[in-house]
Amino acid sequence: MLKPLPGGSMVQADSLFVNYDRTAVLWDVTFSVPPGVLLGIVGPNGAGKSTLLKTLLGLVRPLSGNVFLNTGKIGYVPQRETVDWDFPITVLEVVLMGRYPSLRWWQRIRAADREAALHALTQVGMAELADRQIGELSGGQQQKLFLARALVQQPDVFFLDEPFAGIDLAAEKDIVQLLKQLKNQGKTIVVVHHDLPTVSEYFDWVLLLNTRLIACGPVTEVFHAENLRKTYGKTSPLFEEAVGLSAKQQSGL
Amino acid sequence: MTLAEYFTDPILRAPSIGCMLMCMTAGVLGVVLFLQKKLLLSETVSHAAYPGALVGLIALALMGPEMEPYAFAAVLVGAFVFAWAGLKTVQFLENRFRIHADAALGFSLALFFGLGVLLTSWVQAVFPLWSNQAETLLFGQAATLTDGHLWVYGSLTAIVLTFVCLCFRPLQTLLFDRGSSAVERAVQLLLLLAIVVGIRSAGIILVAGMLIAPAVAARALARSLGPMFVWAAVFGGLSGFLGNVLTTHVRLPTGPAIVLVSTGFALLSLLVSPSRGVAFRFVRKYRFHLRCREENLLKELWKKGRMVRKGWVGFRLKQQGWVVRDGQWLHLTEDGKTKAAGIVRLHRLWELYLTEQLGVEAVRVHRSAEEMEHILTPELEERLTKVLANPEKDPHAQPIPPRRP
Repeated sequence: MLKPLPGGSMVQADSLFVNYDRTAVLWDVTFSVPPGVLLGIVGPNGAGKSTLLKTLLGLVRPLSGNVFLNTGKIGYVPQRETVDWDFPITVLEVVLMGRYPSLRWWQRIRAADREAALHALTQVGMAELADRQIGELSGGQQQKLFLARALVQQPDVFFLDEPFAGIDLAAEKDIVQLLKQLKNQGKTIVVVHHDLPTVSEYFDWVLLLNTRLIACGPVTEVFHAENLRKTYGKTSPLFEEAVGLSAKQQSGL
Repeated sequence: MTLAEYFTDPILRAPSIGCMLMCMTAGVLGVVLFLQKKLLLSETVSHAAYPGALVGLIALALMGPEMEPYAFAAVLVGAFVFAWAGLKTVQFLENRFRIHADAALGFSLALFFGLGVLLTSWVQAVFPLWSNQAETLLFGQAATLTDGHLWVYGSLTAIVLTFVCLCFRPLQTLLFDRGSSAVERAVQLLLLLAIVVGIRSAGIILVAGMLIAPAVAARALARSLGPMFVWAAVFGGLSGFLGNVLTTHVRLPTGPAIVLVSTGFALLSLLVSPSRGVAFRFVRKYRFHLRCREENLLKELWKKGRMVRKGWVGFRLKQQGWVVRDGQWLHLTEDGKTKAAGIVRLHRLWELYLTEQLGVEAVRVHRSAEEMEHILTPELEERLTKVLANPEKDPHAQPIPPRRP
């Protein structure tokens, strides 16, 4: 996935098609995101937002199409409910796991790793919780924990899947502030988001998605009523039927 | 018999050490299954191994009675192949036909164990000399283990422990993030080996218990993965040893004895685990209840000035220096007055918060405040004071005692 990209873009997707069994989840999605933007992926439930994120990360294999990332250093914050919060592990240990990819499998955790993990926890304001069990954290703290784990990898691109789902407002503001700081440091941040009123406040770029791509660009240019109607309004029944039929044919079901 | 003899006596040592090693291995691998939430897989795999072990026996029986010394090896090979087949059947059903995990496990277990039962009756009818062997497979028989078997158990334990130590971080990633399929395959291979080898001491029916019980016990005590492995190994080893001791004293088959001991450990640690244990939770609940009663009495004294009260709660308050006894009357000390005022303050702050901020009617707030006065922390009090702008009167126009300077 490491290819130099034309036009200096950081994340790029080229005609992505993704099916789950018989339903088309992504249909011909093409876009490109420059470095140093804070991008919100917005669309109705079941629009394929999380799937798009996972396809960009390489966790879901597209039926056809390509993904290009201009870096190998990626930080991923998964959806909160996909994590096993009953797992016997402490806050610090979870953050340390962010350093594992840079260690060989037999190597022990070094003092430098521990230092970096503690620093990441300080950045999200959770240093004093380092020895807690992850199950004892509040929703907002759980989200910040995984953000700290992404931070410790020092990535160029961050992918966050619904980071604001089910957390309190104070934690949400903290996270947004941190994301903006990262953006100012030149990082690219891709966030799956579901709350329309906050889009212009939180992001400078937005990607509107409903199985097919509606628009992708600076908030000031593409985040307007016409595009929102296209994203959230009833899609053409003919389009849905045709896409469904195509998915059915390809899966052989 | 002293305990040391179980490790030195030439006849006793192989069964006791063998059971210990086998159960230690099973305990460690049980942790992996436990955290993957796939514990029942061990049950299915061990039952799937049964017909395999019998096929191994039958193959030897066909070659003649002089082959009996090799039965151990034949059973191992047969069991391993079938256990692997059982595992693959489950995976195939789940991935290929999208059958729910429970159904796939049940189907595979029934299929293979049914086949095993069929073969057992066949062995009994055709090779009566070998049917004893077939029976020990079901419940395990440790007493006939020899020093030779010890090498097998010893090496397997060494492999598993080395693997877990060396690959601790990849394992942690696999279990927490569901990563790395290479580690997953290695774990499966070790699991099959552990189950197949463990059949000799615990038996087909109960070998799964040997994987499950130590992990359950360990989870109750451990806060993180490393200690959980250690606890599981300790519980596994101990129950293997004690189960074997039990077998030699009372005439019990080895498998049930070991599983009884390890379930005992599991129950015990569920009971006494500091964070999750039933016992400690009971103690904590009792303490909280007692504190509520103490604080309620303090409050009453604060309002009435003095009271006649005998009993445990009054005695405790005296011990802690909040009250003094003057004849039959209880009085608050200066410290007690401050403390009681603090409780009343929390009560009234909460009442005001409910009426002012949440719009609850003033007549309905008392009951909630009766509870919250025991629960609010200084930090929450601070926030309440700020939100309500340091109020002086509660909704019933009673004065709110000022904050302690």
